[in-house]
Amino acid sequence: MWIPIQINENSAEPLYHQIETQLKSLIVSGQLEEGTLLPSIREFASSLNCSVITVRRVYQDLENEGLLRTKQGTGTFVANVAAGERDEYKRAVVQKAVEAAVDTGISVQYSSQELKKLFLDILQIKYKDAGKRGDQE
Amino acid sequence: MMQPDSGVAAVELMNVVKKSPRGQIGPFQLKIPQGYVVALVGPNGSGKTTLLNMMLQTLIPDTGSVRWYGRGFEGPIPLEIRQQMGYVPEHPAAEEHIMTADQAARFRSHWYPAWDWQRYERLMDRFEVPRKEKLNRMSKGERRKFEIAAVMAARPKLMLLDEPSAGLDPFAWKDMIEELRRSLDEDASTIVLSTHIVEEIKRLADFVVLVQRGELRGMAEKDALLGSWKEYWVRGAEGSFLTGMNGVIKCEPDGPSILRMVLKDEAELEKRIASSGGNAQIIKSRVLELEEILQLWMQGNAPDGLIDSN
Repeated sequence: MWIPIQINENSAEPLYHQIETQLKSLIVSGQLEEGTLLPSIREFASSLNCSVITVRRVYQDLENEGLLRTKQGTGTFVANVAAGERDEYKRAVVQKAVEAAVDTGISVQYSSQELKKLFLDILQIKYKDAGKRGDQE
Repeated sequence: MMQPDSGVAAVELMNVVKKSPRGQIGPFQLKIPQGYVVALVGPNGSGKTTLLNMMLQTLIPDTGSVRWYGRGFEGPIPLEIRQQMGYVPEHPAAEEHIMTADQAARFRSHWYPAWDWQRYERLMDRFEVPRKEKLNRMSKGERRKFEIAAVMAARPKLMLLDEPSAGLDPFAWKDMIEELRRSLDEDASTIVLSTHIVEEIKRLADFVVLVQRGELRGMAEKDALLGSWKEYWVRGAEGSFLTGMNGVIKCEPDGPSILRMVLKDEAELEKRIASSGGNAQIIKSRVLELEEILQLWMQGNAPDGLIDSN
């Protein structure tokens, strides 16, 4: 099974972190449904051109978080993410991203007023775009 | 530091030294973990082939010892272990020169209980190797493809490949990579390969071992190695900007009020940028290419997180 993960070789973000974040968001957003069998560690590593060590680390981390479960001899599956849990994950992911954006603002000495205005502007543009895309589908 | 976790090593070199007229090779302390791909890299003549030959016991070390799956042997490696090892040598064996590919395959199939004719046929077809041609009449690349097909047909648990891609065209090379990956997945095999092809390391290897002038420089996890160093162009920084920072390899002017630097500790750089009060800013950055990282390593700048093989 092909998992849509895009690796940016030039990113400062470590490889395993890129893969983990994207796989997690695929699971939490429901794009990968409960019970989906993930590729074997070797297969996944080959398709991403990374080492099996990295993929194993990602699988282990997500298993510890309860997003994946491994059945001996059968493989690694997407675990059941409860609706409440899903909302909680979504909120946590978005919150982290917003926090990072605010940190960037602070680091360039943006005032909270400026930041708020920028945020609302972007919100308007992005949601308009998203609305348009929705209409076309 | 991340350590390989699958128990006993497929091959372990313990303080191995081999002397030759060209100089000493070793001492080598190295563990090849089961189920992984280890790439041996290093300049020509640095001892990679010698290393492979000692793993195959076609060369006996002068001092030190070698263990296969946790066992050392006084005499030759027992047949049941040798039958699980496959070797693609740098120069193919002369005794098969006058055989056709199929004759040589039949000969080899007697030696390997796990020999898989179906796989042999499939690989020979995929690689488009002439079956009725004598091996010494084949082109270098065709012969190479036969050797690779015949080694994989034996379904070995441990493959030792000495520059497997030498002489292959880019299409055959891609097929070979795919087939090696398939065998890794299907047979859970271990691969040690020597190579000069950066793309091959990127696509296949889990670990990279650097050998230089007969010495082992270390073993690193490939993905960690790839992120070892970054290059930055910073505008508005003083010459003393990086003073006291660890892991800085290069810091030199590159245009008006621009410093170009190669370093490890990105977090520390960002901290210094932030505390410069908006004077300094990163205008460009990139991750170093694998060949640059290997070159730095050969110049004595070892990456972090080398694996302890003791």
